[in-house]
Amino acid sequence: MLGQTVVRQGNDFVAFCKEEDIIITDEDFEKFTEFFYRKTGIRFDESKRYFVDRRLIERIKATGHKSFKTYFTFLRFEASGKELQNLINVLTVNETYFFREEYQLQCMVKRMLPEIVSRKKPGELIKIWSIPCSTGEEPYSIAIYLLEYWKDIDKWDVEIIASDIDTNALEKAKKGIYSERSIKKLPNHILLKYFAPCGKGEYQISEDLRNSIEFTRVNIVDPKETKRYRGFDIVFCRNLLIYFDDLSRKIAAENLYDAMNPGGFICLGHSESMSRITPIFKVRKFPEAIVYQKPLEEKDK
Amino acid sequence: MKKVLVVDDAGTVRMYYRKLLEEAGFEVDEAVNGLEALEKAMLTDYDLYIVDINMPQLDGYSFLQRLRGSEDLKQSPVLIVSTESEEQDKEKAFALGANFYLFKPVKPVEFIKYCKLLTGVAYE
Amino acid sequence: MPIKKQEEKEEKLVEIKQERRRFQRDFEGLLKQLSCGTPTERRWAARDLADYKEASKHLLDQLLKEEDISVREAIISSLLKIGDEIAIQGLIECLRSDDAHLRNSAIEALKVIPEKVESHIEKLLKDEDPDVRIFAVNILESLRHPKVVKWLIEVLEKDENVNVCGTALDLLAEVGTEEAVPAIKKVKERFKDEPYIQFAADVALKRINAGSNSG
Repeated sequence: MLGQTVVRQGNDFVAFCKEEDIIITDEDFEKFTEFFYRKTGIRFDESKRYFVDRRLIERIKATGHKSFKTYFTFLRFEASGKELQNLINVLTVNETYFFREEYQLQCMVKRMLPEIVSRKKPGELIKIWSIPCSTGEEPYSIAIYLLEYWKDIDKWDVEIIASDIDTNALEKAKKGIYSERSIKKLPNHILLKYFAPCGKGEYQISEDLRNSIEFTRVNIVDPKETKRYRGFDIVFCRNLLIYFDDLSRKIAAENLYDAMNPGGFICLGHSESMSRITPIFKVRKFPEAIVYQKPLEEKDK
Repeated sequence: MKKVLVVDDAGTVRMYYRKLLEEAGFEVDEAVNGLEALEKAMLTDYDLYIVDINMPQLDGYSFLQRLRGSEDLKQSPVLIVSTESEEQDKEKAFALGANFYLFKPVKPVEFIKYCKLLTGVAYE
Repeated sequence: MPIKKQEEKEEKLVEIKQERRRFQRDFEGLLKQLSCGTPTERRWAARDLADYKEASKHLLDQLLKEEDISVREAIISSLLKIGDEIAIQGLIECLRSDDAHLRNSAIEALKVIPEKVESHIEKLLKDEDPDVRIFAVNILESLRHPKVVKWLIEVLEKDENVNVCGTALDLLAEVGTEEAVPAIKKVKERFKDEPYIQFAADVALKRINAGSNSG
């Protein structure tokens, strides 16, 4: 590689740029990836070496450290866990857009909903919770998917609640105006049916949909706030828990459990797993996705 | 190639088993606890599970119970490797459906011998 | 439009309040519900008892008999929230339980409150049961105490049990410093017939020595 010096350290060949004096050795990489895997379930192998090294060096410098060693001690022992969260942030791709992780929406209409309605009496409401809803792409995606792809949508009433801790995001969600980037995955006929262009290359989602979803502010780690949320059949909690520390993750998962009906389903983000959080949910495998389920009560089995 | 799932919360232990198993010609996946093991078993058919008892979220016995109670997961042999060294621990494991039990720390030759035996690989 | 906001908000809240009131909200009532209700009722009781400092002993008693995981988890969360000496001691006692799930839940719980466990750790590291000593090393993983490496060194130097030493080596591979190198080399000598110890010690040494010092 141009501008780089290659040096032998023991049995490792280590390349580093003249400008950077921070290097990540093979052992550092192993130590870090084992720690990260244990904490998050995400495993980076050699093929991701460059990606990880670059971002580690970025964080090492950003936190004023001069070596991986001192940074790792800091990361490992920091009381608040903030740096680990920052690191998770830079190492995971977190973009929101319509029909993101579509396989879970498919799973919802093909597998989860049929099971849920088989246990409901006609006229009973189906409740879905999107938390965090961020700027609304997720709850609107759920709504559109139900209307377009759930064959029984006309037989049941559905309530969708969309919550977030960020009131700015909620305001944007209520306005429902989106950029080209957000809508890029939408099939054209859906774009035409539910969105109207509103200038500057942006689209606004239909008023009907904007009025059909309830947006609320909630701190999911506070059981006092989540107390009033009950009876959910499906929860989408994607790409949130991974950013919490161990204790908050557990508390949030417990709050979600209590908000769900027995037999209800919860979907996490594609690189998240309950295996780092709590064993109280049952793991269910469907062809489209692995989801988690609150166990049915004895009488319902 | 036979596929093995190594389930142990200690990173060094998983590294050790991986080294021994790969040298012996096995393909190795890892899980840090019984819950992650169940999830991996749902996505991949394993020929052998090597399972620790004391792990966070879901311990080895609970994993064994859920595995043996499942209709979807491949019912491959389970080798328990644990620090729990009482007779009753062994009995409990067998009663739940384990196929064999070794005490930690394992000796390489014996460990590989049983892995090969349990997966029907000829022992050399 | 089959997707609709539900307007009856007030009714909803009243409904929820009524449901909660069906279960006694006072301390005595909650205790009864904790031991006699359905799993769902027991779980709610466990959660609500977190607000009562006097509940520790009762929560612990129920924990030892409770078979439902979701109730156990709620009891443990409440014990952590109360966090008094009774709760901590009780969770530490669970380390000795014959029930694997209970033991391991206790370890995870204690890891989450490192500041409260610190004062007990030294004693646990010297417990006569090697399993408890192993769990004590597991708990060290979450401690930010400056003495963690020193404690691990002491384990390597003095503990007779091979698995306790193995667990210490696994943690040192992550948090070890140069200070630990002599002790790691010595434990290799002490257990020279144990291939796993040789392996684990070598991993720890590699990770400590090869850690980048530049910059």
